Amino acid sequence: MYKLFLTLRYLRKRRIAYFAIAAVMLCTAMVLIVMSVMGGFLDQLKNKARGMLGDIIVDNRSYSGFPLYEAFIGDVSAWPEIVRATPVIYSFGLLNFQGTPRTHTVRVVGLNLDEVCEITEFRKGLYYETYYPGTTHLGEQKQPLLGFDLRGELIEWRDPTGRLIGHGPRPLLPPDYQAALEESWAAGLVDGDLPESDLTHTCRAAKLPLIPGEHELVTGAGPPEMAGDAYPGLIIGRDIIAQRQPDGSYKRSWQYPRGCLLTVTLLPVSESGSVDIPIKQPLRYADDSRTGIYEIDSQHVYCGFGLLQKLLQMGTAERVDPETGEVIGTIPARCSQIQIKIRPDADPYALARRLEEHYQSFLEDPRFELRPDDIALITNVDAMTWEQSQAHIIGPVEKERILMTILFAIISLVAALLVLCILYMIVLQKTRDIGIIKSIGGSSGGVALIFVFYGAAVGIVGSLLGVVLGYYFVTYINEIQTFLMSVNPAWQVWDRAVYSFDEIPNSVRTEDMVVVILAAIIVSTIGSLAAAWRAGGMQPVEALRYE
Amino acid sequence: MSDPLLVAEGIHKTYHMGRVNLHVLRGCDMQVQPGEFVAIMGKSGSGKSTLLHILGALDVPQEGQVRFGGAPIFAPPRRRWFYATALDVCSAYERRRIQFRRFAFGFVFQSYHLLPELNVLENVRLARMVGTSTLAWPGRRHDACSDAAAILEHVGLGARLKHRPSELSGGERQRVAIARALVHHPKILFADEPTGNLDAQAGADLMSLLKELHGSGQTIVMVTHDPGIATQADRTLLLRDGRLGPA
Repeated sequence: MYKLFLTLRYLRKRRIAYFAIAAVMLCTAMVLIVMSVMGGFLDQLKNKARGMLGDIIVDNRSYSGFPLYEAFIGDVSAWPEIVRATPVIYSFGLLNFQGTPRTHTVRVVGLNLDEVCEITEFRKGLYYETYYPGTTHLGEQKQPLLGFDLRGELIEWRDPTGRLIGHGPRPLLPPDYQAALEESWAAGLVDGDLPESDLTHTCRAAKLPLIPGEHELVTGAGPPEMAGDAYPGLIIGRDIIAQRQPDGSYKRSWQYPRGCLLTVTLLPVSESGSVDIPIKQPLRYADDSRTGIYEIDSQHVYCGFGLLQKLLQMGTAERVDPETGEVIGTIPARCSQIQIKIRPDADPYALARRLEEHYQSFLEDPRFELRPDDIALITNVDAMTWEQSQAHIIGPVEKERILMTILFAIISLVAALLVLCILYMIVLQKTRDIGIIKSIGGSSGGVALIFVFYGAAVGIVGSLLGVVLGYYFVTYINEIQTFLMSVNPAWQVWDRAVYSFDEIPNSVRTEDMVVVILAAIIVSTIGSLAAAWRAGGMQPVEALRYE
Repeated sequence: MSDPLLVAEGIHKTYHMGRVNLHVLRGCDMQVQPGEFVAIMGKSGSGKSTLLHILGALDVPQEGQVRFGGAPIFAPPRRRWFYATALDVCSAYERRRIQFRRFAFGFVFQSYHLLPELNVLENVRLARMVGTSTLAWPGRRHDACSDAAAILEHVGLGARLKHRPSELSGGERQRVAIARALVHHPKILFADEPTGNLDAQAGADLMSLLKELHGSGQTIVMVTHDPGIATQADRTLLLRDGRLGPA
C-alpha cells in the first residue's frame, strides 16, 4: 500500500514532476491532433469517394469500353443482393463556353442521371437541383430566363449600396423553375454564398427570398421565358464553372448563367481501338456538381448516357464486311463501367467475385456471337468494390497518415527522456527517503515500484490532460484558424481555395484517444525504469547517510 | 537465564574505499536478552552504527551471523547479497531480512529521518502500511490509524498529528521517530545516537521515554558516545578496535 500512497504524495508534492506531466501532455496532444486531422482527411476522402461510386464497379479500364452490358445488367438485376445497376461511359473531350475563348480539357461522363442518383450520392452535390428540385435533367432543354411579374405589385429596386434605383416588378422565373424555387424556399433552403448584386439587394429590401444561382435576364423587362433552341443538358464539375474562395464558398460568374450554351468536342474510339474524327456537340449548362474531390470537380462533366454512347459510336451498329460491304452481324453496344448498388447485408467482396465470374461466363454463353475484338474487351472486365477501385487514392493517404503518426510518436519519445531525467533527479533528491523506507521494511523491489508507479502516474495524468487539450484543439481547430487569420491573414494554414474539403477535419475518434493514452502511459512507465532500478538498488545504510 | 533474543557471532565488516580496505568490525560477539536495555559505546568512527545496522538487518557483514530468536538473519556467507538490487525479493534470505525489519525491528536514528512530505500521523502510519497490500489496507487502515494516534499520544504528540516534520522541534521529531519505530510493536528497538542532535533537556526527556519503554518490557539496543547516556542502560558494551567488550 505504501507504494501507491507515496507515489500519489510525491506526484502532488514534487513540483518538478509537473514538467514531466506537461511534456507528456503536450506530446499526447500533438500525436492526437496529428492522428485526428490525418484520420479525418482519410475519412473525408473515403466518404467522398464512397458517395460518388456504387458498392461494386465493373470495369475493363479501356477507352473502348466493353460490350454485353445490357445483358449483364438484365441478368444481375434479378439477383436478390443487387438493388440497382447502371452503365456509365467515360471519355475525354474539350469543353468550350460558347461566346468565350475559354476551353477546358475534361473527362466526359455519360450516365443515366436518375439511376446514378439512386446508386450514389451524386444528387446531393448538384447545386441547382438543391435549390430548384426536380429541374435538373440531361434531356433536351432550353435556357430559363429570369423575367418579371408584370401582373403583381411593384417593388423597390436597390443597388448593392442600398440606394433606391426605382420601382419595378418582382423578379420571376419560368413556371416550372419558379414552382421548384418556391418549394425550396418553403423548405427554408438559402444559398449563403450568393454575391451582392442589384437582384439580391432588391429581394432583401422587398423581404423576398433570394434567387440562387445565375440566370440570364429576359430582354425588355418582360415575363420569364424558356429561350433558345433545345439542346441536351450538361452537368459541369463545380470547380470548372465557379471559383472557390478562401472561405470555402464558390463565386459564380454572371457570364455563365444556367442554361447557357456550351460545346463539347469528343474523339470517338471504335471497337477495335481506332480513333475517328472529332465530333462537336452543343449542350446547355443544366447544373454543376461537387463531389468534394478536386480532381473530379475540376475535370468531370456529365451528359446523358445515350447521347454520349451515340456520339462516341458505342451504340449497337451493323457489322459490315470491309471487303464485300455486306452486313455480317451486329456490333453490340458498349459502356465503360457498370456501377452497382447492393443490399447492405450482402458481402461486397464475394459478390464482386460472383459478378466477375458471371461476366466472364458470357465468353461461353451461346446467346452471344462474339468476335475476337469483343472477346478481348470482355476478357479484361473485372469487378471490384468501391474501396478496391479507389485504393490508388486512399492507399497513399492511409500510408501518409501512418507515417505522420510514427514521426510524431518518435518526436514524442522526448517526453519519455524527460520523464527519465526528472525521475532520476527525484530519486537523487529522495535518496534519504529511500533509506528510510527500506529501514522500516520496504523492499528494494517495492521502492523501485514506487518510481515505476510514479512514471505511470505521470503518464496517466499527462496523457489525460493531453487528450483533453488535443480533443478541444481538434474540435475548435477551425475556430482557432479563423482567429489566427483575424489576427494576421498570413497565418492561414488551411486555404479552402486550395483544398477540396471545406473545413479542417475536427473530430476525434475514441479509439485514437485510447491508443494515445495507453501509449503515453507505457512510454512514461518505460521512461521511469532506469530511475526505478537506481532507487531499488540503493543500499539502505548508504542512502540514510546521503547528504 | 532465558534464551537470548539476539545473538551476534563473529561479525566482520570491511569497507572498501578505493585502494584502502577499512576493517571496521573484527569479530564482534554479543547477546541481548529479552527486555534488556543494552548500550554500545565507542569513539566516533569506531563502527558503532555499522554494528547496529548489521544487528538490525540493514547492513550485511562479510563474515559472522546474527540470530534473532535462534533464526539466522543473513544467508550463509557465500550466498549473501552485499549489494541491493530491485530484484532482491528473488532471494528467500533477502525476503526474510526485509521481514525482520518490517515486523521485528524498529529503528531510531540520530537525524530522525522522517519523510518531509508526510505529516506526523502519516509518518508513523507508514510503518504499518509497509507490508500491507493495497487490497488489505482498507480493512486495516482504521486500526493502523488508531495505533499510530495512540502511540503519538503516548510520546506526547497527540496534538501535533497533522503537523509536518518541519514544524516540529528536534525533540519532537525524535519522538515521532520513536513512535514510528514502535507502531508495529517491534521485538527490539535499535536507537542510533538518539540524543545526538538534541539539547540537554530534550535529550533527558527522550531518555526518560526510552527508560519508560524499557520499563514496560521493550528490548532496546542503543548506540551512543555519551557515557552519561550509556549509564542509563542495563548493560554497556564498548566497541574498541573492531571488537566488543565490557565497558
